[in-house]
Amino acid sequence: MPFRHPWRTRRLLAATTGIIALGLLVAGCTPAGSNEPVGEPKTGGTLTYASGDAEPTCLDPHVGGNFPQALVSAQYLESLVSRDTAGTIIPWLAESWIPSEDGLTWDFTLRSDVTFTDGTVFDAAAVQANIAHLQDPTTLSSTGYLGLGKVTGTEAVSPTVVRFTLSEPDSALLESLSQTWLAMESPTALERSQDENCASPVGTGPFLVDSWVKQNAITLVRNDDYVSPPADAAHAGPAYLDKVIWRFIPDSASRYAALQSGEVDVIDNAQPDTIVQAKQSDSIEQLDSPRPGASNRIELNSGQAPFNDVRVREAFIRSANVDDAVSSLFQGTATRSYSALSSAESTAVSNPALFDYDPAAAVTLLQAAGWGQTDADGYRIKDGVRLSVEFPVSTNQSIPAEQSVFEQIQATAKETGFEVKLAPMDLSSWYAALASNDYDAVSAPYTKVGPDVLRILYHSASIVPAPSGYFANLAQVNDPAIDELLTTAARTTDVAERASLYADAQNRILEGFYILPLYDQQNHYLLRSDVIGLRTLPTVAVPTLYDTWLNR
Amino acid sequence: MSDLEVQVGLAAQAGQPDRAAQSGRRRRFGVAETAAAVLALFLLASAVVPQLLAPGDPLGIDPLSAFQPPSGAHGFGTDESGRDIYTRVVHGTQYSLLIGAAATAIGLGLGIVLGTLAGMLGRVVDFTVNRVLEVLFAFPGLLLALLFILIFGPGVATATIAVGLSTAPGYARIIRAQLISVRSAAFVEAATVLGRTRWQILLRHILPNTLAPLFVLATLGIGQAIVWAATLSYLGLGAEPPTAEWGAMLSAGRTYITSAWWMSFFPGLFIVLTAVTATVLGRSIDRRMRHA
Repeated sequence: MPFRHPWRTRRLLAATTGIIALGLLVAGCTPAGSNEPVGEPKTGGTLTYASGDAEPTCLDPHVGGNFPQALVSAQYLESLVSRDTAGTIIPWLAESWIPSEDGLTWDFTLRSDVTFTDGTVFDAAAVQANIAHLQDPTTLSSTGYLGLGKVTGTEAVSPTVVRFTLSEPDSALLESLSQTWLAMESPTALERSQDENCASPVGTGPFLVDSWVKQNAITLVRNDDYVSPPADAAHAGPAYLDKVIWRFIPDSASRYAALQSGEVDVIDNAQPDTIVQAKQSDSIEQLDSPRPGASNRIELNSGQAPFNDVRVREAFIRSANVDDAVSSLFQGTATRSYSALSSAESTAVSNPALFDYDPAAAVTLLQAAGWGQTDADGYRIKDGVRLSVEFPVSTNQSIPAEQSVFEQIQATAKETGFEVKLAPMDLSSWYAALASNDYDAVSAPYTKVGPDVLRILYHSASIVPAPSGYFANLAQVNDPAIDELLTTAARTTDVAERASLYADAQNRILEGFYILPLYDQQNHYLLRSDVIGLRTLPTVAVPTLYDTWLNR
Repeated sequence: MSDLEVQVGLAAQAGQPDRAAQSGRRRRFGVAETAAAVLALFLLASAVVPQLLAPGDPLGIDPLSAFQPPSGAHGFGTDESGRDIYTRVVHGTQYSLLIGAAATAIGLGLGIVLGTLAGMLGRVVDFTVNRVLEVLFAFPGLLLALLFILIFGPGVATATIAVGLSTAPGYARIIRAQLISVRSAAFVEAATVLGRTRWQILLRHILPNTLAPLFVLATLGIGQAIVWAATLSYLGLGAEPPTAEWGAMLSAGRTYITSAWWMSFFPGLFIVLTAVTATVLGRSIDRRMRHA
């Protein structure tokens, strides 16, 4: 059964969800157990942040463009636009924007009072330099480059108005520009060598990069001349903190221990068991902020046997007991998803009925698909071939709890007769396995602001590998109807019509049993209770320390 | 010098003060030896008939009873998927013992071949084998094992061969030294005078006298091989989850060490107990053989 709301209800729902989310966010930042007001923000102090993500090799998120880069660069770089918790695009470095009637040109009016921390003026020419930098093949941008796929040129109409020219209408342009990977950097700084710019990128943000001791820490100091917070910030003027020490502690147990002892003030990538422990502690608070774009899901490779048969795909999904796995391993810190999109996306369509755990139905489906016999080990066979599912697991991208979810799926799917072969591997072996089509099931996170992520993940054009060998359509969905819906949606700027097209596309993807959604991309932060005013940007869900102050 | 050589060296030195102990008290088994023997029996039983000691399924999940601390129902507690840790530890014994024994056999076999070549086939071969061994000694054993796994991919089989290969140089050296000392013994000279061929002498006189101490070495080596194999699995290079292998279990438990200590404590305890058991038994056999 498709699950649809009339548009009006949908918007109301989104707005309500937004308000509730905002409320939770605010609640999350107040010390638990005490209702006394925390008082006026205090200026000063040093905050130590410990990241569990890999240390970036380049602090300029234009280069490559991954989550660890977004985490740190959101403190010193800013984007043209942002997004509020309800999903509406709001002003940031651009005050306003107008698309042309045909959707092929966009005029952005920029703030006129902003300078980069190296003294360079932020103006239309600076925006042009950034777009050129992102589109320059030598920059090796991946995320930012993809976001600008339809941008054919820029033009400075006046010092404060920049015009984007597109090859075709792009309903995802604003969402793409809101991402930290497309943030604005000083054109003067961009002229330096890439090595230099990677070590100390220059932006307009509330902090600036002071030093970076590799394998140790990045030191950020306050930008005293800061004037340009996004429209949803809690205050104006410079940040409260004097200094931010950005450390890397890859081991989750050590990271949590450092937070408990007060050695660090904020940690990311908090594991479920530590979140549960933190809930019982008065000195530690939690901030939960699911990443936008796709949900965490298992993609079933429909391009080859056995998953080229929709009955076998459905049987696998029906034989996987995901609910019990999620509740035991995430201990209430993650909610089961039934959608291709993150719950952070207002256009997400959820269809729980398609993902019921039903081993009996799975057996019937397998029998109908010709997998009626079983071998001595209890696995199903057809023409002498065992019903095996090759499942490469990236130990870099799947946290231990997620790897255990896969183990539990392996155990429950075995009862139906699937032999799931989990193969934990490092990132490069994992990429190699995908590139050589050596997989039947895989979980690959993908973060992007807005529903256009569906086009990247499920349009048949994404089956064609990039020069690196990677392709994003890992379920190998090759359905002309889905292609048509996604292409049309990407050109449709009318909000209601666009949402309806994406809803149709999602329903087709879910009903085709190409994916098994698990939960949102988990993004939990733990912080000391005296860290006040920490929030995440509703764009890519990275924390911003601009409104943050220390109540000590 | 490898860990193994140190151990053997110590065992050899221990012969000195032991003589006094031997003549003073004729006690047949010490406390440590008795405990080690009992443990060895338990471990052997776990490896051969795990179903007898732990009838459950080591891979059987029960998500709703995950993370339970040790209790009457689950003596060693449960892991993140509700699997019984006691059952897994018992069923894991076969992997550890098998890996330990197989790796030692590989190391010893290769060591015997290399050591014999060096000890018997004249200077040129001796020189060549020795230089090769010295190069291998330049790398810590574990590094050699990692290199091997890097080339041939992770898994129980590769981990076993890797550990075996990395212990081989140590064995080869000891065997070579033993061979050379036996070769100049009077009974070998006698055999030469009697006109026996080189191979006859090797097989009938030298090897039997060289191999006796190897039994001790092998027992000591099994303990070390088990620790190394567990290390590789802990690093994600040996047995793959959810296999009930001690090192892999230890690694899985590490994530939850602040909230579920039992997940890593019991597999760790068994790795230690097994290694200690093998060492105690090895030393004991060594002593007995020396004074037989």
